[in-house]
Amino acid sequence: MGILWRIIGMAADYPIRLALAYITALLAIGFSLAIPPLFGNAIDLMVGQDPATKEFFKNDFTISALIFFGVGILVVSLGRGFCDFARTYTTESLSQKVSFDCRNLLYDKLQNVSFAFHDKEHTGDLMSRATADVEAMRRFVNLGMIRSLDVVIRILAIPIFLFVINWQLALVSMIFVPAIILRSAFVMRALRRKWLHVQEVMGQSVTVLQENLAGMHVVKAFASEDYERSKYNRKAEELRVEYYDAERMQGTNSAWMTLYFTFTLGIILWIGGWLVVRGDLTLGELATFFLFLNQLTFPVRASAQIINTFSRAISSGQRLFNVLDTVSPVSERPNASDMGRATGHVKFDDVAFAYEDRAPALHKVDLDAKPGQVTAILGAPGSGKTTVVSLLPRFYDVTSGKITIDGSDIRDFTLQSLRHNVGIVHQDVYLFSASIRDNIAYGVVGATQEDVERAAKVAQLHEQIMSLPGGYDTWVGERGTTLSGGQRQRLSIARTILIDPPVLILDDSTSSVDVETERQIHRAMTEVMKGRTTFVIAHRLSTVREADQILVLDKGVIAERGSHEELVRKNGIYQSIYELQLRPQEEVLLEAAVPAYGRAAL
Amino acid sequence: MMRGGGGIGGGMMRGMRGTSADSMFAPSNDNLTDEDVVGRAYDNRVVKRFATYIRPYRKYAFIALASLLIYAAVNAAIPWVIKLGIDWAVTDGNIGRVHIIGAAFMVITVIHFLSNRLQFIFISLTGQHILYDLRSGMFGHLQNQSNAFYHRTPIGRIMSRMQSDVLQLQETFELLALALAELVTVGVIIILMLIIDWQLALLCMLVVPILTVILMYWQRFARHSFMRIRRAIAMVNGEYNQNITGVRVVQSLNRQDENLAHFRTLNQEYLDANLEAARYSGMLQPLVELLIGLGIGICVVLIGGFMLQRDALEVGTLVMFALSIQRFFEPIRQLTMQYSQLQRAMAAGVRIFEVLDLEPDVTDKPDAIALPEVQGEIKYNDVLFHYVPGTDVLKNVNLHIKAGENVALVGSTGAGKSTLVNLLHRSADVTGGSITIDGYDLRDVTRKSLVHQMSMVLQEPYLFSGSVRENIRYQNEGATDEEMIAASKAVGAHDFIMELDSGYDSELAERGVNLSIGQRQLISFARAIVGNPRILVLDEATANIDTHTELLIQQALNRILKGRTSIVIAHRLSTIRNADKIVVLDRGNVAEVGSHDELLEAGGVYAQLYAINYGLSGPSVDVAPVGGEVIGADGLSPAAAD
Repeated sequence: MGILWRIIGMAADYPIRLALAYITALLAIGFSLAIPPLFGNAIDLMVGQDPATKEFFKNDFTISALIFFGVGILVVSLGRGFCDFARTYTTESLSQKVSFDCRNLLYDKLQNVSFAFHDKEHTGDLMSRATADVEAMRRFVNLGMIRSLDVVIRILAIPIFLFVINWQLALVSMIFVPAIILRSAFVMRALRRKWLHVQEVMGQSVTVLQENLAGMHVVKAFASEDYERSKYNRKAEELRVEYYDAERMQGTNSAWMTLYFTFTLGIILWIGGWLVVRGDLTLGELATFFLFLNQLTFPVRASAQIINTFSRAISSGQRLFNVLDTVSPVSERPNASDMGRATGHVKFDDVAFAYEDRAPALHKVDLDAKPGQVTAILGAPGSGKTTVVSLLPRFYDVTSGKITIDGSDIRDFTLQSLRHNVGIVHQDVYLFSASIRDNIAYGVVGATQEDVERAAKVAQLHEQIMSLPGGYDTWVGERGTTLSGGQRQRLSIARTILIDPPVLILDDSTSSVDVETERQIHRAMTEVMKGRTTFVIAHRLSTVREADQILVLDKGVIAERGSHEELVRKNGIYQSIYELQLRPQEEVLLEAAVPAYGRAAL
Repeated sequence: MMRGGGGIGGGMMRGMRGTSADSMFAPSNDNLTDEDVVGRAYDNRVVKRFATYIRPYRKYAFIALASLLIYAAVNAAIPWVIKLGIDWAVTDGNIGRVHIIGAAFMVITVIHFLSNRLQFIFISLTGQHILYDLRSGMFGHLQNQSNAFYHRTPIGRIMSRMQSDVLQLQETFELLALALAELVTVGVIIILMLIIDWQLALLCMLVVPILTVILMYWQRFARHSFMRIRRAIAMVNGEYNQNITGVRVVQSLNRQDENLAHFRTLNQEYLDANLEAARYSGMLQPLVELLIGLGIGICVVLIGGFMLQRDALEVGTLVMFALSIQRFFEPIRQLTMQYSQLQRAMAAGVRIFEVLDLEPDVTDKPDAIALPEVQGEIKYNDVLFHYVPGTDVLKNVNLHIKAGENVALVGSTGAGKSTLVNLLHRSADVTGGSITIDGYDLRDVTRKSLVHQMSMVLQEPYLFSGSVRENIRYQNEGATDEEMIAASKAVGAHDFIMELDSGYDSELAERGVNLSIGQRQLISFARAIVGNPRILVLDEATANIDTHTELLIQQALNRILKGRTSIVIAHRLSTIRNADKIVVLDRGNVAEVGSHDELLEAGGVYAQLYAINYGLSGPSVDVAPVGGEVIGADGLSPAAAD
């Protein structure tokens, strides 16, 4: 129930709309409740019953009396129509406002919550929260909050009217009310579980689909189409069964509700008719009963739907609030200050880190990078290289120890100012569906064409951009021009250049490109490193040798550190890496050079 | 089942989920038409096509239809039974007749209930079976499409067809059933009213033509605003999707504030569009109520009252008409609401069948044979290939690779290296010439039997969610644990796999993102080896692996490649130099073939490339990229020698 209250709370942010919706709904009900008595009285005006013989006869009535009832019904109907319009509009506007807010909140939450969250969540699932679950919430506001009033009031008010007319008949016609209430309560709970399950299965099937499409080249390369088909079909079959199950339950419920209602009509006809024959009820009153009951048709039919919106809202609300309530493990301290522009003195002080629910990834990491220094990080995959650099812009927070920039703990600064100071060139470069210009200027609001071009030039990308038909306006990303791995990486470098951060992280695992491109990338990297405190996850000898300090990570611990010369002499991991990987590079380099020249230099 | 009838919240606003963004910005050059095409409310081809999907479930559909008709007819007849009760029993003062009518009504109630329940169940049963068939059919068919198709068609568009279009159909299916029930109800009501008193009935229905005209006029405005909603939601969802997939960049570049502002404007447009639509659909309400008021107040009470006084009708008729009029207009209103849903459904149907009708670029010949186990001798004979006519990617490629040979493909970006190897597993068919393996033309054998004898390792490792075990056995589900572990050990993946929480049973996240890219690549190597292929293709497979791991893999590869035909695309000198044969591609032509030494001596393209890339730069550290190319030169020797 807490979830529903929360949704109601969100709707209460619009008190005027909410109040108007309720007022117009009440007025509409009021008008419509006037119709059956008007009609019943008109019938009694036309037909009378002899109290003694119980014979029916036609009354002599005046036209003006008939006009009163006829026009009365017309006017009341019109009143109801306009109130209904007002109610529909305010309700729709209220529910749309709530879903508008919800989408904004969700969007903002997802873009701010730390990487640890996104590591766990699937895109397809997050998408379905933003679409199907938000929609379920909106429907709850619309049907569950406002329309349900219509149902409840009619179900409460109509019996009262009926009691006033004839309490015995009213009592008999209400015998199903307890059954309706009990059934609603029971079905609501069961349906909620069902729909929650349907949504889960739906999310799973979307994930299978998405992975399959994105990895189609792999599917093709392994001729595993049949395997994929059966994988998807299993999910689709599960979805079919679950959907059918939920729909059957809902349909059965709806049929029962209709049954109660129809049965009641029958009882009124049977017992009411008997009462009329005996003279205990007028014909007009019987007609009133029917018309009132008729007014219950749609509420009763809608009630199954409304109950459904309750259960959907609870399950969807749960999924939404789970995301909205996620406390990002990386959050700003209340008194976080703006970092300004740092000089770039980075220190790790006894840092340890563990990914959620996993064994520690880093222990006791100490490092000191002075402004402008280049630190190369080496190590086997899984040794923690990427983890070390992810802590610096606070994509994750240290588990213990601290990281300082210019002497202050990075957790004391606002995230925004910290990340303005720490630039990162990612391993996987993500392009947004936008022009190249917008992609380069992505991190800087108000960057001019000159700024963008300058950054692209430094990143060795300008000429290639200009050779595209659309130049800087070329659309990239989904449905746009495809850029090669090397171009994407340089675009990422250009982005970073534009931001001009004093601290820079280069995750340098160049995707293999031809040598010319690779050379351009290297040139771009050298440019961007100038004057910045740089951490580079390095794979090449040149970068490693140029570095001011080299850190060798082994299973989350800094095993060795020092300059190239120091480490080579140490006879440790670096030395073996050097012997196995780096030195051969050097030798080939020399061999490959004009032989005499090369050998002589050695 | 989401039945209509909830006013604006009912049929109209639901189901507008789409993940296709930006359709109005970017050029569309794929086979799928744009999403914004407006459908007709009734499209005969779609309906006919859809009927073929109903056929397997016609028994269910028949029961659904029959029960639906019974339900609707009974529903419409209830006011008439009440009239009978009043005129034939009550006003006659006949208690016996009252009991007969009362009992008869109870029987009707039971029929009403049973038919209602049956129609719910069988509509759902039929509908869900059809939806399964559509989903499964689309997915299955999508597997037949070539890589070229996926190259030109964004995933988002396919996703939106599989999801939102199918959902559209699902909702429409239910609405159609409901609409049919309402049509029957209205029809039976009209007939009964005409039978009982045709004059009063005609009077009551006098307003129907007026209503129709107004509704048709209204449709035009409403349609416009529904289109606006669709466009707006596509933008909202596209932006949302992009924000999730690009979240790492967003955060590192501090874009949150601007993004939120941008998203809010898109979201606001969606809100405005919805409110506009709400105004349009809300306008119908006073109209319908006016008609009900006219019907009951003026026709039934006023005119009917006069007629009653002149003995032209019975009092029960008035009650029946009053009850009927309320049941009469509501379905008409509902039907107009569903008109736009129908339009969308037809459009969704068109899009779904478009996917199902896609012609696969690569198909097995009807008389294709299964390729027997091959030695691995590959021949390219005058192979021509282009994606787009006029721009040849491969021009007259002739190449002979002996069984068991290890070939390195060299050439600059765009020379056609990947295309050359992709033709081998028929990701596309040659446009001219032929490729044979052991003398079999690739087009004469089934793709499956062909691909099962080769494995590929691509530059970007791509894993599926599921366990490590499932991923490694991806090509060879029958592989034993021993084979799987042996393969993992061979590529050096075993140790880190065992360090995962549940070893080989550890679950990978979507696309395996919970592993590092190097680890993913190791698993994809293991995956390739478990298939025990005769032919192995490595397309820049070690590009994303750090040198340490690459070294391990290189050692493993030496063993793995033994006895298999292999084609390796690489930039690293070590790999190239150790190949039995180097093939140099230059703008779609085979420029040279030979061993490293031969080619250097020949002084052609390779020697030039070599000199430019590895030679002239000299040993200075400034020209460091040189160092980057050549990892573990002398090949695998340092370690292999140990």
